[in-house]
Amino acid sequence: MKKYYQYIVILLDDTSVSYCHADNPLKEKRLIPLEVLREAILFSMKENLMIQFVYPEYELPKEYNDLIETIDHIKIGKDVLVYDSVPTNVERKNVVLRLAIADFLAKQYDIALLLPKVTRLNISITDIENFKDELIEDYRTALEMLNSVLLNIYKGGNSPEINILTDRLRLNEMHNCDAGVENITLAPNGKFYLCPAFYYDEQMGVSTRMNHKTKDASRSVGDLEVGINIPNKQLLELERAPLCRICDAYHCNRCIWLNQKLTWDNNTPSRQQCVMAHIERNASRDLSNKLKDTGFVLENEIKEINYLDPFDVKEEF
Amino acid sequence: MKIKNNKVTWQENSAKNITFIVTKDCQLACKYCYLVGKNEKERMSFDVAKAAIDYILDRENEKNFDTESVIWDFIGGEPFLEIDLIDKVCDYIKQEMYSRNHHWFNSYRFSFSTNGINYDSEKVQKFIKKNKSHLSIAITIDGTKRKHDLNRIWKGDGSGPERGSYDDVVRNIPLWQSQFPGVGTKVTISSADIPYICESVLHLYDLGIHQVNINCVFEKVWKEGDDKLFEEQLMMLADTIIDRDLYIENSCSFFSEDLGKPLDCKLQNHNWCGAGKMLAIDAQGNFYPCTRFAQYSLRDKEAWIIGNIHDGIDNNKLRPFLTLDRCTQSTPECADCEVAEGCAWCQGENYDAAKTHTVFERATAICLMHKARVRANNYYWNKLYRKLELEGTREEFENQKPKSNDIIC
Ligand code: SF4
Ligand code: SF4
Repeated sequence: MKKYYQYIVILLDDTSVSYCHADNPLKEKRLIPLEVLREAILFSMKENLMIQFVYPEYELPKEYNDLIETIDHIKIGKDVLVYDSVPTNVERKNVVLRLAIADFLAKQYDIALLLPKVTRLNISITDIENFKDELIEDYRTALEMLNSVLLNIYKGGNSPEINILTDRLRLNEMHNCDAGVENITLAPNGKFYLCPAFYYDEQMGVSTRMNHKTKDASRSVGDLEVGINIPNKQLLELERAPLCRICDAYHCNRCIWLNQKLTWDNNTPSRQQCVMAHIERNASRDLSNKLKDTGFVLENEIKEINYLDPFDVKEEF
Repeated sequence: MKIKNNKVTWQENSAKNITFIVTKDCQLACKYCYLVGKNEKERMSFDVAKAAIDYILDRENEKNFDTESVIWDFIGGEPFLEIDLIDKVCDYIKQEMYSRNHHWFNSYRFSFSTNGINYDSEKVQKFIKKNKSHLSIAITIDGTKRKHDLNRIWKGDGSGPERGSYDDVVRNIPLWQSQFPGVGTKVTISSADIPYICESVLHLYDLGIHQVNINCVFEKVWKEGDDKLFEEQLMMLADTIIDRDLYIENSCSFFSEDLGKPLDCKLQNHNWCGAGKMLAIDAQGNFYPCTRFAQYSLRDKEAWIIGNIHDGIDNNKLRPFLTLDRCTQSTPECADCEVAEGCAWCQGENYDAAKTHTVFERATAICLMHKARVRANNYYWNKLYRKLELEGTREEFENQKPKSNDIIC
């Protein structure tokens, strides 16, 4: 089914927290001009988009807070807390944890201790490119351990979510990041980007190394005046991603920014992304089976498969 | 009646194609040459070639390199400018394949596309004698003198008049044909060449070249009305080939029975071009999915380097190529096109012309030309079959149906 924009991510400042794979390399404060914020809210209302504001660490001026409160929204960095290391305690129930793969593996038991304290934990690995095949077993056993902790919590009557293990349980179609397809990002400069990572790349000049030879390093896909205009937009859609459309790691982020960074094509995932997502998928399958054995009712059947990378079996589809 | 088949090239489907870009220099400055970055400085050293060969032969059982056969291709610029290097490299390849007991030793070929100018030189001839049973050499000749000299001119300093290279090439054709009988030539058509298509193909037949592989360039060079002119030329060619019974001895890739039908997005969804399955290496030791992704072939995009002789191949950079299919990169118009069969594309040109950094956006500059070709092709087969029917030779012909052999890049 064709997808349409559902929500907009508004970066309130250049130093707004990063909540996904890409680090935010921008260090200088640049607050979105109040007028632009007003326009952005108006745009979102007219286009019927849910707003996610992404906050910097410092307090916003009062007139900003007043304006923001005129509309329904989610506050990333406030309602949803983002951590770059494993906290011992959390002040909110909805948490994003951004970790390098080595830290994730090293801190897996600390993460397990967090599980009873949250309602939702989103784990975002910040260096997927460093996930080598040698880490497959380590990642698998870490998820196995988290699964057993989760199972006990579920038996006790609580059911926290953790994106890499529980999202897949209930999905029977792709549910990915969908940047540029279901959501769009507005940066403090008043321009649209596929997601914050493309804005960071533009600001850091990364795109000049990657893109056309022209001097124009812009990665923006429109602005508040002209609207959203994404060249080759069809290539962001699932039907135009030959590997993803045959895949059933439905919870996978299918990060188009990572795709571009590692394979140079938006619609083609790297081996790392696929292998990690499949280890998670298989761990979800284990969890699903164990929950069912314990009496939980889960309608989904996650099939047993013999690959970790759809690329290796693409001829079979 | 013996009917000429469009031959399928050697081990076409089971061979790995490995291309060494040995030099970016050439004696000529052809006007349609897509190599925007030609120069005299970048010549491959033996050490770079050796490192690439070692890397490749070390991986005999890896998926990228486990094909039955191999074609070691040498291109430029003009490859025979580097005949000393090529000779040394080929000796090394043979030695290594033999001493490693590599399965390719039983099934390899050295392949060259040359402008033919120094084909008769002592060194090139010595090399040919030494490797004859494993050689494919194609000399490019564009047709009649006026057609050939229109584009294939000597490099000059811009001060004197343009000098065509026809005479310097054509004198080597008899020697080439005697050494490689039956080998075809490749002709590329750009806008200015259209009026000469018919006379050129016929001229090549006259020269004793019986297989003419001809195609239109993929770049956006076509002018309004070119498709009509093109169609007229092909109709003229069709009439002459049929009326003079030339189809018995000769073939021309413009006319193929596998052309101009609709295609199914499930059953006929394969990619056209072999980029990514091939491997190209340049003088710096960089690896590419095909030579068209090296910087000297690209107008607007950065080179698509997939690795180098020191760090090896980054397989992530190959994944887009190895997952490409026809419909994913096509517009709805192309996916549903009534005459899609045989409408070709070049992945390198697609990338170069794309709006974003992708190999999944098909360039369609060739659209009207393909449609014109389909019309002329339909005319050709309708006319030929009627003739054969009346002569009572149709059945015989159908039994020996020529296979298509579109060589497109
Ligand atoms: S696992 Fe790979 S193929 Fe599957 S959705 Fe994720 S990126 Fe796409
Ligand atoms: S380029 Fe034109 S002729 Fe070729 S498939 Fe597309 S629509 Fe058909």
